[in-house]
Amino acid sequence: MRPIDKRLIKHFRRLVSKLVRKFFPLLIVLGLLGAVVWAVSMGTLPRADFVFNNGAEIKTMDPAQATGSPEGRVINALFEGLLRSMPAGEPDELGRIPMKPVARGMADRFTVNADGTVYRFHIRENARWTNGDPVTATDFAWSWMRFLHPETASEYNYQLFYVRGAEKFNTVQLAVGDKVEVELSDRQTPELFPRGTIRRGILRELILPPPAADTAGTDNQEADAADDIEAISGKAIFVVEFQNESSNTPATETIAYAVSADGSLAGIDELKQSYRGDFPLSNIQPCQHVLYDFNEVGIQVLSPQDLEVTLNSATAFFPELVAFYPLHPVHRGCVEQYGARRFTKAENIVTNGPFRLKERRIRDRIRLIKNEQYWNAAEVELASIDVMSIQSETTSLNMYLTGQLDWDTTPPNTMIPILKKRDDFVSTPFLATYFYRVNSAKPPLNHPKVRRALNLAIDKRSIVDNVVKGGQLPASSFVPPGMIGYEGYQGSGHNVELARQLLAEAGYPNGKGLPQIEILYNTADSHRDIAEVIQQDWKKNLGINVILRNLEWGSFLDSLRTGDYMVARSGWIGDYPDPNTFLDMFVTGGPNNQTNWGDAKYDHNIKMAKSEADPAARMQLFVEAEKILMEHQPIMPIYFYVSKNMVQPRIQGFHANLQDIHPLHLIKIRREGSAANDSISEDTN
Amino acid sequence: MQVLVFLLKRLGWMLITVWVVFTLSFFLMRAIPGGPLNGERVLSESVRAQLEQRYNLDDPLYVQYTTHLWNTMCFDFGPSYKLQDFTVNEVLAQGFPVSAALGILGMTFALLLGMTAGVVSAVRRTSIYDFSFMLLATLGIAIPSFVLASMAIVLFVFYFQIFPAAGWGELKQIVLPAMCLGAPFAGYIARLTRTGMLEVLSNDYIRTAYAKGLSTRAVILRHALRGSILPVVSYLGPACAGILTGSLVLEKIFAIPGMGSHFIEAALQRDFTLGMGALLTYTVLLYVMNTLVDLSYSFIDPRVVLE
Repeated sequence: MRPIDKRLIKHFRRLVSKLVRKFFPLLIVLGLLGAVVWAVSMGTLPRADFVFNNGAEIKTMDPAQATGSPEGRVINALFEGLLRSMPAGEPDELGRIPMKPVARGMADRFTVNADGTVYRFHIRENARWTNGDPVTATDFAWSWMRFLHPETASEYNYQLFYVRGAEKFNTVQLAVGDKVEVELSDRQTPELFPRGTIRRGILRELILPPPAADTAGTDNQEADAADDIEAISGKAIFVVEFQNESSNTPATETIAYAVSADGSLAGIDELKQSYRGDFPLSNIQPCQHVLYDFNEVGIQVLSPQDLEVTLNSATAFFPELVAFYPLHPVHRGCVEQYGARRFTKAENIVTNGPFRLKERRIRDRIRLIKNEQYWNAAEVELASIDVMSIQSETTSLNMYLTGQLDWDTTPPNTMIPILKKRDDFVSTPFLATYFYRVNSAKPPLNHPKVRRALNLAIDKRSIVDNVVKGGQLPASSFVPPGMIGYEGYQGSGHNVELARQLLAEAGYPNGKGLPQIEILYNTADSHRDIAEVIQQDWKKNLGINVILRNLEWGSFLDSLRTGDYMVARSGWIGDYPDPNTFLDMFVTGGPNNQTNWGDAKYDHNIKMAKSEADPAARMQLFVEAEKILMEHQPIMPIYFYVSKNMVQPRIQGFHANLQDIHPLHLIKIRREGSAANDSISEDTN
Repeated sequence: MQVLVFLLKRLGWMLITVWVVFTLSFFLMRAIPGGPLNGERVLSESVRAQLEQRYNLDDPLYVQYTTHLWNTMCFDFGPSYKLQDFTVNEVLAQGFPVSAALGILGMTFALLLGMTAGVVSAVRRTSIYDFSFMLLATLGIAIPSFVLASMAIVLFVFYFQIFPAAGWGELKQIVLPAMCLGAPFAGYIARLTRTGMLEVLSNDYIRTAYAKGLSTRAVILRHALRGSILPVVSYLGPACAGILTGSLVLEKIFAIPGMGSHFIEAALQRDFTLGMGALLTYTVLLYVMNTLVDLSYSFIDPRVVLE
């Protein structure tokens, strides 16, 4: 480098550094100012009329994709189904007001035929979407089709499997002669909606790959079922016959299709060659889906106002399902225009519920405002709601105590004994059970007597009174009490003598020869405390060595799913007030069973109960099933949860109930005077 | 020229660092038990298969790796698995400004308080000021931020009722978290400034300045301070890293919807794409901050040569 350059650079650098030195403080001040402007430009929303903590950030606002109670609260405010669960009747001895699905939703009346299999819903004339469109029966039929469509992959889709043909549509279990709908490979976007051209015809031939071609030796039933799914998703040929309407072409047309997402037909050739049938397979066309014709499913639009739903058999709790948020309708035009993800944006979404979406800040809040188009807008009092998603329970309680929240859904367990004494703590037993799963495949737990002995040796009363201390009820059955018409089966309570006897009968007198048992729980102090008590109970009463193992939530779920545990902590919240939501979990091989336990009589009872029209007989089937469950003890119920709600005294229309559901459109604010609690409320905003 | 070469070199190294971070975390995420499709309710096989297909989780790992890497290079982190209404880019675009505002305010607080305390302590050495400031600084460093936050909440939210308990959106809501975030760094900066100041004050040119008849204020602010902040500037790099990690905890305590909240939740929920997006943003951010510190260091002290 020449000296002149060096000097220039030196000079330049000195200049720059001089500038930087001079302006360094200024830069900091500018940075600070910028940050402040930034923070403020987040838009300081004035406090909403009603602010509550929803707990976790919701996964989605799409009714068809959502699961979980936080999602339910938002979707029930934004959307409305045909029916709505409303408080009805007198409170029970625990102050719980029964919630019943009534025609106070999109439907203003509905009828059921004599044998309980055909429901006719009449949609009210003044039901409107937020964009002004009328809500029609077609909206429901389309939304339910979307909900059931296999590509939507709705976790709750089994809730509609009680409808005739719905399961067939979803699981694509086709047989020759079925009416089918073929979605051609002409989608405009890779997304499911808008769909490509739909052609409806009759399945004339279904050519499946030879069974167990690549899984020789594993030809049990499970493998067959897996093969079927595989076959449908890309390795089968569907020969479909279409009727042509126009007169100048042949009356029928037969086309062979292979399902292929990307339009390639690799893997089909072999199948084609193995085919020995009558249809010429020279021209196989790719298509997106071959599904059971949705027109054959028992969801029929009779008129814009009338929807008829035909069930497989009488289903007593079907109105509950119709009122359940996954079955709320979505606006077809909106979904088709913006696609599966973007249609939920505040600027795009079209809804039909009492509130509409104003703004959404991720992991902060969802701002809802009153929907003036709502048919019952006159009765909705709140003009705006903030749905907060505050993860930390302590933070949430702090915000409640300083008046930032009107309703706290998640007060920390450790604080319950103190909060319990306050008037604004609303708590009653609801439909949820805390229980331990026992892995029936792991010796010595494969012995029913060992499982029963373990259950009998637990002092559940002591756990409830000394550990959880929130007013929970000790459980000796799986189904929580309070379901109308269900007496339930009471298993045996705490009985150390019997436990010792059963253990001896199982071949382990005084716990001798019994291997160490491991209790698995997800990392949380509350679960550890309970596990420690049970550990002591089993050691003291039965002489069993117990070790505890805790795993972080994600890993815990994995262990549960793969059966890598001996005894594991679990919980279950019922979806609707019917024993079925608890008991159908433990049918053999059910996805949520996870205990490796199964019993043919139990499965039979659950299956019979699904189609039993007589309520009393149906409940009897459930009682018998629960008796089997408690005698075989693949699970050990510990206690029934109580709901935990902190609600400011100025809030009205908040009722304790069995499902811990609190419709936001029924909430009112007491106007006269400010709350008596003057020191900590009201003045923060 | 030199600066340009330096920056280009750093850019190159940054790309390599990002790639290494990407690769390591990609495989580590998938090596731990659990996955994005696990929930308390177990999915039926067909639903699970459909969802795996939707998110390309059914592809062989190397295919997933290359697709994801390619998309990342195009700045597309894909959809979030657990916030289904958003793409990762949207989540980061909402979370980053929040954390940045919090971080900048925390840092400014730390600099203002730390440097003032440091200068006062050095000038009034062994006085009661010196003693109490340094005690406070030691406390600030020693007390973890979540403990500090709890104490601040008890004091300023429940006892004095000056600030709201948590939340985001108002200036009032930023004060407590920013202070708790900045406190430990204020402590460090105070000590660094004090040490630097003491060293500079014993130099000949300070004596000369005094001899010329300048006031103490002028000597301290115009001559001594400049030399004494060099250690502070070099500390800014690690401090930025500290501010970033410190805000993970504080964001949770104060219910702030920033990057930290998203990052922690993504890790707990196995939201692979969001976790990766947040991680890479942190990587790039740290790298850029360190580079800027190195750069400014050379401007402030001409003796430093960039390499």
